[in-house]
Amino acid sequence: METKDKVDTVDEVKNIDLGEELKAERMPRRYQRRRQGQFVPDYIDWKDVDFLKRFVPERAKIMPRRISGISAKDQRRIAQAIKRARAMALLPFVTD
Amino acid sequence: MAIKRTYEVMYIGTPETSDDDITILNEAIEKIVTDEGGSIVKTEVMGRRKLAYPIQKKTEGHYTLFEIEGSGQEIAELERRMRVNDTIMRYMTVRVDEERKTAEKHRAKREDRQTRRKGFNGGNESRETMAIDDAQ
Repeated sequence: METKDKVDTVDEVKNIDLGEELKAERMPRRYQRRRQGQFVPDYIDWKDVDFLKRFVPERAKIMPRRISGISAKDQRRIAQAIKRARAMALLPFVTD
Repeated sequence: MAIKRTYEVMYIGTPETSDDDITILNEAIEKIVTDEGGSIVKTEVMGRRKLAYPIQKKTEGHYTLFEIEGSGQEIAELERRMRVNDTIMRYMTVRVDEERKTAEKHRAKREDRQTRRKGFNGGNESRETMAIDDAQ
C-alpha cells in the first residue's frame, strides 16, 4: 500500500490534474508539492512557449500558485503571458 | 507630443498561402505602418507552425511577428486592414514598452546592488565582510 501511495504522489506532481482533486478529498491531504527555486525572468515573453510550458501541465491548465511556488506578482505575469500565447494558438486551451 | 510606444503585432496567415504571398503581404503591412507615421523595428517571419488547436478548421499557420514603434494610430489602421483580410486567420497586438521598462528597471536595480556590494568588499579591507561574502 505504501508503495502505491508513493507512485500516486509522483504522478500527481508530474501530471497535475485539477479534476482529480475533488475525488481525492476524502484521502488524507498530501503536501510536498510546492516546487522550490523557480526562476522567473524580469521580462516574461508571451512568445517563449518553452518557458511557459513549465507552468502548464498535461491538461493545459495554468498551474496554481500553491504548486508552482512563485510569487503572486510573477504568477499574474505568467498567467497573462499564457493567455496571450493561447489566443495565438501557441499554447492549447484544453487537451484531452 | 505624440508618445512613442512599442507594439508587437503577430498574425497567423492561412497555410495555403505561398511564401511569396506572405512576403508581399508583409511588405504591404510595412507600408501601411510607415504611411501612418510609425516605424518597423523588426520583422520576423516565424514560418509554418502547427497550431495548438484548430482555427477555421486548419491545423497549421504562417506566423509573422512585427515590432512597431509609433503613436498607436498606425495600429488602429493596421488592425482595420487585417480584420478584412482573408489570408489572415488571426492577429494580436501587444504593447510591450511599459513591461520592458519595468523589467529593465528591475535588472538595473539588481545590478546596482551587486556592484555596490562588490565595491564595499573591494574598498574595505575588513576581513569580516570578506568572510561573509565567502559564506554566501
